[in-house]
Amino acid sequence: ICSSFLDLVKKKLRTERRGIHVDQSDLLCKKGCGYYGNAAWQGLCSKCWREEYQRARQKQIQDDWALAEKLQREEEAAYASSQGATSLGPFSKFEEKKTNEKTRKVTTVKKFFSPSSRTAPKKESQDGKTPSPSISRQSSMETDRVSRDFVDFLKNLQKPGREIHKQCRAFIESLSCKKDLSADELSECVQDFYQNMSDRLMSHFKGSSECVEQVMDQVEKYIMTRLYKSVFCPETTDDEKKDLATQNRIRALHWVTIQMLCVSMDEEIPEVSDNVVKAITDIIEMDSKRVPRDKLACITHCSKHIFSAIKITKNEPASADDFLPALIYIVLKANPPRLQSNIQYITRFCNPSRLMTGEDGYYFTNLCCAVAFIEKLDAQSLNLSPEDFERYMSGQASPRQHDSDAGWPQTGPAPSTVATNTALAQLHDNLEALLGLSSRQENLMEAAQSLQSDLVSWQESVQQEVKDILEKYPLEIRPPAASAIDADNVENDRLPPPLTPQVFAG
Amino acid sequence: MSAIRVDAKVVMLGKESVGKTSLVERYVHHRFLVGPYQNTIGAAFVAKPIQVGEKVVTLGIWDTAGSERYEAMSRIYYRGARAAIVCYDLTDSSSFQRARFWVKELQNCEEHCKIYLCGTKSDLIEGDRSLRQIDYHDAQDFADEIGALHFETSSKTGNNVDELFHKVAEDYNNTAFQYMTEETGVDLGQKKDSCFYSCCHNN
Repeated sequence: ICSSFLDLVKKKLRTERRGIHVDQSDLLCKKGCGYYGNAAWQGLCSKCWREEYQRARQKQIQDDWALAEKLQREEEAAYASSQGATSLGPFSKFEEKKTNEKTRKVTTVKKFFSPSSRTAPKKESQDGKTPSPSISRQSSMETDRVSRDFVDFLKNLQKPGREIHKQCRAFIESLSCKKDLSADELSECVQDFYQNMSDRLMSHFKGSSECVEQVMDQVEKYIMTRLYKSVFCPETTDDEKKDLATQNRIRALHWVTIQMLCVSMDEEIPEVSDNVVKAITDIIEMDSKRVPRDKLACITHCSKHIFSAIKITKNEPASADDFLPALIYIVLKANPPRLQSNIQYITRFCNPSRLMTGEDGYYFTNLCCAVAFIEKLDAQSLNLSPEDFERYMSGQASPRQHDSDAGWPQTGPAPSTVATNTALAQLHDNLEALLGLSSRQENLMEAAQSLQSDLVSWQESVQQEVKDILEKYPLEIRPPAASAIDADNVENDRLPPPLTPQVFAG
Repeated sequence: MSAIRVDAKVVMLGKESVGKTSLVERYVHHRFLVGPYQNTIGAAFVAKPIQVGEKVVTLGIWDTAGSERYEAMSRIYYRGARAAIVCYDLTDSSSFQRARFWVKELQNCEEHCKIYLCGTKSDLIEGDRSLRQIDYHDAQDFADEIGALHFETSSKTGNNVDELFHKVAEDYNNTAFQYMTEETGVDLGQKKDSCFYSCCHNN
């Protein structure tokens, strides 16, 4: 039975094969290796299919890898470019911008899906607030520069340097993933990182304390420059509200005079007023810095100018009793932008060793005191009666008029008039200077114009001259004389006879 | 702009014109008598290295504004201080009352801060005993009560000034050793619930 069944099958197969006509070449492997192919393997034989499949898979893996490691590669490119191949620079910059855009998109998308999506539109409105693309480009350029500086700095440290770089990058990445942290939590993360890093540097790399401090300064610079945008005055805090409140408060206190604060600075001395102006500039400049340490440096510069001003006025070194009122006065006059945000930012993200004990810390503490004083300022703290204070605050009266009425009627001009006079005189001087400048500019323009016409006329005269000469001595093309080269030699006879070959005997 | 590294923060507290600044000036000036006097523009902050045994301890000495109008802010100043020199004028009893106020504040806010009670202008009472308004024993009793050391100094003659600051450095050096192990934990914790932090948050 068995054999007869087999026969039947064979017969059936034969008939079927005859029925479906398939060309031999269709059955062969498409690669042309001579083996039979299979439709499931896209017409390839098993061997060729495996090879093909492996290749495709490899490519896929590589693509994935490339995508995942994009950031890493770009950083390494920056590292490499700074180590010599500078031509890589602009390209890596471009790459970074691209990835930046990508991550931003991703986070906004995430925001929409995350449960706290209420904050998302707000965030975007803030993004929209960024004044112009050129500014953001500038800031990304700054980030770039800082990254490069950081890499340059770490290069000197060789292996530990690479380790530090890796750690910092990992930290920044990990923080950028955790978008929902409150400001205090962020601060704690950063402070923990500082602590761990300096501990590691101390123990692991056996650095001296100065060396560690140096490295930590660079680490702070790098990290905070990159994180600045997301952690300065974050949405999660009411820093912005406080900024506005303080700003309005300082505006409302515009009437406070230098006498009320008992400041020992005499602004009529030019050197003193010069220092005051510099101090004000410094404290306003603080807002433009990104690194906490740079912000602190602004405060320190400001304080040093105040000390100079007091020293010039009093002719002796200033004490804290002189300094604090003067600083309060400077803050009131400057009304520095985003003061509270800056103070909070420094408190949260500055390296604590600097903030707690050093000179910068001292001035920073004084600034905090000044701000606290301004917030709590009342009649008593200015030695005024509550009624006067109220009237000044509401704008019903101005202390300057009051002073000139009551205090200084006999002794010549009141201080306010003196101040106005000096201001006017300065204005006058400036106007004169401007006038002088504009007349000089006019002179310059005239000279330039005459030079231009001179040049034109010179060109013309040269052309004319050339033309005259050409007319005077027209170019004559004489037919070439076919005679010997000495044909036109008139004084032929006077020439010595031509040399003749001489035969020397011997 | 790397400033001198400072080990310990020392605050000077005391009423206006008790001579906090003079005390610091005297101490720093004394040290620079041998060399050229460093041209300091202000005496409000001084970083001062002091030799203690084989080690050098750098004290960051913070001068503070003593006027009553800044009293509310004074706790911002002594945040994280390891030592406080609370000054009073030996010839002014009201300054001693203010000293008591600061001592109380320090005890409430900065438990790690060691207190040094310092009566100033001792040269004045040496000239005229009747000028003394604070009895030495009263002050000494108060110092014992709060666990502080007591000094009577004169910035004019330099009496006891070096001793005071040297003692501060020495004590710091001894205690720093104890704190070394727990320091990191303490500092971070302190930062969060310190007076300064809450100050800036609440107002």
